[in-house]
Amino acid sequence: MQPRQPALRHSFTGVIDGAAGAPAALPSAVDFRQVRYTYPEAATPALDQIDVQLPEGELIVVVGPSGAGKSTLLRLVNGLAPHFSGGHLQGSLRVLGLDPVVATPRLMSREVGFVFQDPENQFVMDRVEDEIAFALENAGMARQEMRIRVEETLDLLDLAPLRGRRLDMLSGGERQRVAIAAALALRPRILVLDEPTSQLDPKSAEDVLAALVRLNTDLGLTVLLAEHRLERVLPYADRVLYLPQEGAPRLDTPRALLGDEPAATTIPVALSPPLVRLAKTLGWEPLPLTVKEGLAWSRQLRVPTARGAQPPVAADTQPILSTHNLHAGYGDCPVLHGTDFAVRGGEIVVLLGRNGSGKTTLLKSLVGLIRPQRGEVRLQGVSIKGKDVADICRQVGYLPQDPNQLLFADTVAEEMAITLRNHGYDPRGYDLPIAPQTLLERLGLAHKAHAYPRDMSVGERQRAALAAILVTRPQALLLDEPTRGLDYAAKARLRSLLEEWRGEGMGIVIVTHDVELAAEVADRVVLMSQGEIIADGDPYTILGSSPLFASQVARLFPGTGWLTVEDALDYFRGQTHAPYATDDYPDEGA
Amino acid sequence: MTRTSTLATWMSGAIFLLATLMGLVAFLYPFWVPALAQSGNTGLAHSQDAPYVLALLTGICFVVLLLEVQGAGMSAKTVALLGVLISINSLLRFVDLAVPGPGGFSPIFLLIILVGYIYGPRLGFLMGALTLLVSSIITGAMGPWLPYQMFTAGWIGMSAVICRPLVGGLGMRGRLGEVVVLALFAGLWGLLYGVIMNIWFWPFVVGTPDQYWEPGIGGMQTVQRYAVFYAVTSLGWDLVRMAGNVVLLLVFGGPVLRVLQRFQRRFTFVYSPVSQPVSQTVSQANDA
Amino acid sequence: MSIPRDFARGIAPGPNRSYAPPPIHAAAWGTWLAAVVVVLAVTRNPLYLLFTLTWIGWATLLVNRIAQNAAPGADTLGLPPVQFSPLTFGLVVVTLSALFNGLNVHVGTHVLFRLPRGWPLIGGPITAEALLYGALNGLALTGLFAAFVLLNRVVPVRNLVRLAPRAFYPVAVVVTIAVTFVPATVRQFASIREAQAIRGHRVRGMRSWLPLMLPLLIGGMERALQLAEAMMARGFAAGDEQPQSTLWVRAALILGMVALLAGMLLHLVWRMPVWGPVLLLVGALLIGGAVWRMGQGQTYTVYRPTAWRVQDSVICGGALLTALAFLVELPGLARTSALYYPYPALTWPQLDLGMGLSTWGLLPPVFVLLWSLAKQDGPANGADVSDVSEQ
Repeated sequence: MQPRQPALRHSFTGVIDGAAGAPAALPSAVDFRQVRYTYPEAATPALDQIDVQLPEGELIVVVGPSGAGKSTLLRLVNGLAPHFSGGHLQGSLRVLGLDPVVATPRLMSREVGFVFQDPENQFVMDRVEDEIAFALENAGMARQEMRIRVEETLDLLDLAPLRGRRLDMLSGGERQRVAIAAALALRPRILVLDEPTSQLDPKSAEDVLAALVRLNTDLGLTVLLAEHRLERVLPYADRVLYLPQEGAPRLDTPRALLGDEPAATTIPVALSPPLVRLAKTLGWEPLPLTVKEGLAWSRQLRVPTARGAQPPVAADTQPILSTHNLHAGYGDCPVLHGTDFAVRGGEIVVLLGRNGSGKTTLLKSLVGLIRPQRGEVRLQGVSIKGKDVADICRQVGYLPQDPNQLLFADTVAEEMAITLRNHGYDPRGYDLPIAPQTLLERLGLAHKAHAYPRDMSVGERQRAALAAILVTRPQALLLDEPTRGLDYAAKARLRSLLEEWRGEGMGIVIVTHDVELAAEVADRVVLMSQGEIIADGDPYTILGSSPLFASQVARLFPGTGWLTVEDALDYFRGQTHAPYATDDYPDEGA
Repeated sequence: MTRTSTLATWMSGAIFLLATLMGLVAFLYPFWVPALAQSGNTGLAHSQDAPYVLALLTGICFVVLLLEVQGAGMSAKTVALLGVLISINSLLRFVDLAVPGPGGFSPIFLLIILVGYIYGPRLGFLMGALTLLVSSIITGAMGPWLPYQMFTAGWIGMSAVICRPLVGGLGMRGRLGEVVVLALFAGLWGLLYGVIMNIWFWPFVVGTPDQYWEPGIGGMQTVQRYAVFYAVTSLGWDLVRMAGNVVLLLVFGGPVLRVLQRFQRRFTFVYSPVSQPVSQTVSQANDA
Repeated sequence: MSIPRDFARGIAPGPNRSYAPPPIHAAAWGTWLAAVVVVLAVTRNPLYLLFTLTWIGWATLLVNRIAQNAAPGADTLGLPPVQFSPLTFGLVVVTLSALFNGLNVHVGTHVLFRLPRGWPLIGGPITAEALLYGALNGLALTGLFAAFVLLNRVVPVRNLVRLAPRAFYPVAVVVTIAVTFVPATVRQFASIREAQAIRGHRVRGMRSWLPLMLPLLIGGMERALQLAEAMMARGFAAGDEQPQSTLWVRAALILGMVALLAGMLLHLVWRMPVWGPVLLLVGALLIGGAVWRMGQGQTYTVYRPTAWRVQDSVICGGALLTALAFLVELPGLARTSALYYPYPALTWPQLDLGMGLSTWGLLPPVFVLLWSLAKQDGPANGADVSDVSEQ
């Protein structure tokens, strides 16, 4: 007979003694040593010889380029890897003294709560309360205890008013809060979240992050959060774990990790928020992490009072797409009330507005997916009335929010061929609007022509969807939330593509919540509210003045009309006597 | 260890076989019970509880099959996979309920058969039985026929596995022949489904055996009469279903098969974490 | 193509109040349904049939009224039911079944007309008896259908799922997930249709459904993987920890099945008075034991059980009494009156007061519904009443 497995939990009594408050004395919540993990049938390990010790009770943000193994690391904490994904694991893992591989996710669920990216796909039940109770039911908890736990958890995340609601009728932010509540029902000591806000709009994202901060500060819950909206979480992060593509991970305070040490051990410029980029270039020390801290510096700088309005893009040319007194909506509830909107060739128009303000409805009306109740939509000056969506879309490309819904073929090349056949072209013929291979090269997908689209990364999948749309060479392109779920590198790539197409005379409309994207690419910004356009003008006037939609740089230098780091740096580099101007201006392309 | 698992496999096979056998006997009672009733001389009185006994037996059979099917351990993956696939398939059921045109045509058999074929008889059974349950819940088309539908659809999914050796034997895996075999199989079941589904209905039309008029009627005559009843009321529909299934499999079978196969590895795997000596030394250092 | 859009509208956010638990326990409804099935299977006495159908119809009407008053989407899936109403169903089935029986069975004294002898099967006298008997069969079927429809409307899925024995927990979770994912799947389908339309896709013929179905399927399976991960992270028993059916359980199942099979043969074919039923009982017990044993291995608990109230006991009691009266000869009740035949000559159906009263055992749900309707109507009805008094 084999002896029984020794007790899983290690004793920490020797560690937690008198040294009150000193962070170094706290036991590690997570202690990984020389961990190497390879997914089944993968050639190279996803994590290689990783050593990580995370202290308990802190809010730790995990940062790194996509593909560096952030998700894998998080999944090792509760044993989902390798229990769920299979594969090969080496090294020693301890989470609160337990070995997650031996303990299995089922037992680890009592110590580690886990929240996933997409709030749609993590619910089993249909009601808030039942969903929270699901983990408790699985644990076989007595009913009386369960009721107490559910009440507590509801209060913890302010969900009591929603307790009886159906989950599919909640907003994304509310759903993600329910997911956090459901993960916390078993009172775990660690909460792990894998990019929980990447599918949310900024307002909901902020609600979710605020809830996390509260849990951490009020309850001392250890929060381990992978997140790419650094500007929102950095001020609250106790530590940042930086996971580079190559080399050892580094755990340190945000300031230290963003600081000016050798590039290999600090977070690269491309991953930093605009404020940090600017501050580093201008040499602000200690590094400001919030706009409030940054204002202390920026107020000391002499800056120009206003910037002249940009000349509008040739307003006299005929718009590619325009709406005239458009009334449209779903069924008998109108969303748009008399909208006049136009986009011309060679301009990028960004539509901003709250959820439900009618942005997507306007976009769908432009391609005929929603038909006007009154008014009309014109394509090249001709009303689209009576044309079907397929005809319109030969001239107008539309990238839906979730590009997955386009992709179903076995290869990227086949996806393009399907679109061509839909429009009556022969994919092998010579009279194609654009050679598919050329398009793929421009999208940077030439080497992926025969890959299965669904196996590619989020950014690549989005570009594959663009390939399937742009293969008819439309004159206008409409994009719905194109940066949702993208990391910084993919975002930069998309941005340069958009600018390239604008240069070729394409008219581009982007619906987004991403103010920084708007600041970077927009020629014109249109603000919508309650189905009406409330402002339409150049980005410097609109983004510079509105407190709600202002970019970080605009908040730092109000009244200057600057929106992006480049705007500010352009000015400071011109000023030879600017006190903080330096020469090592970070290279954006890197 | 291996002997136990071989024994378990045999037992599991025996359970499948017995349940199917008993299910068949219970399903087909309208044909043999009246024959019994009139061959004996104790009259009808004794066999009047036959329908209830047999209905109960059908239920027990179903319970046994369900227990055996899930008894092999359903992981979170299979539970989630089935849940999502059944929800998709149940929505497809709206097509045959709400579109008046295509007669007995129903698109639900495509996924039931392919899931059974790719993921094995256990998931096939659950896919069939639970699709019918969930779809009748959400469409509101729940009726006394539900248990029979669940049972039959479960059988369809379970039996799809016999196409495997057929396809393998003909060396047609991954080729057009594979889809053709599956299409023929689906066509056959399209017809059989209707035949079986009518049997539960039949006693209501002619009355339960204890109320059976015309004592002279024997088993053969019952079959004959059922044949007429079937030809009049349902053959047309079932032919449409049969043709629909064949076309469905021919058109969608290949692509859907490829999708299911693509995911097959992700839903079934065995993991083998290896603890290296290094972990030992580190943990000892930790304790010290 | 227009169907899914209707669903999407049905799911559109609306008033969304918290839901009140249904006034009747799912198990009580189940017992009631079983009793209805027994009555309708046994009797062809038009009077008893009418009684039963009336109770079912009354309950259905009350449920309709309650549903109208409740907040939309309060406790439904939000999907419009597509099934035909029991009334339509009844009309069709009664007609069909009367015709079929009338044309097929040429027995009875009241000959309406004759079809030529030479016509196979349908040739011969067409009698009022056969027509009537067919119609009665159709009536019984209609009752069954209406009872199922009613059950589907009044018992929420989650309560129905909880009736499953513990051993079937995984299956119950599958059903719960399937139902939970329906609205999301509908939404997915709608947006896939849009996404494909904007790349020039048109629905023409069967093959053109592929671009709609494949993304739905692929997306669904990807979602299933994410869901499985989320379930594991919250302690859902993973494969290796779930109770496997052990050899003993399997042996019990096999023995039970063999006993049932033997018992059935002995009882129904060879008519052994004792051994048949005994073997049947043994088989059922063995299988029940196996189910119970497997259930022991499931460690889950239930957060929100529906309470069992006095009214549930009353409903069950009534239903059991009714079923008993129609299944077994009880002293003082003329069970034979239930076995009404119009053949060989039409007779008036016999009305046994006791038997007629025994169908009243199916009434308690109606009283409970009436009571909860009155409670629900309370303030609103007040206004109605004052209106009436003014006139």
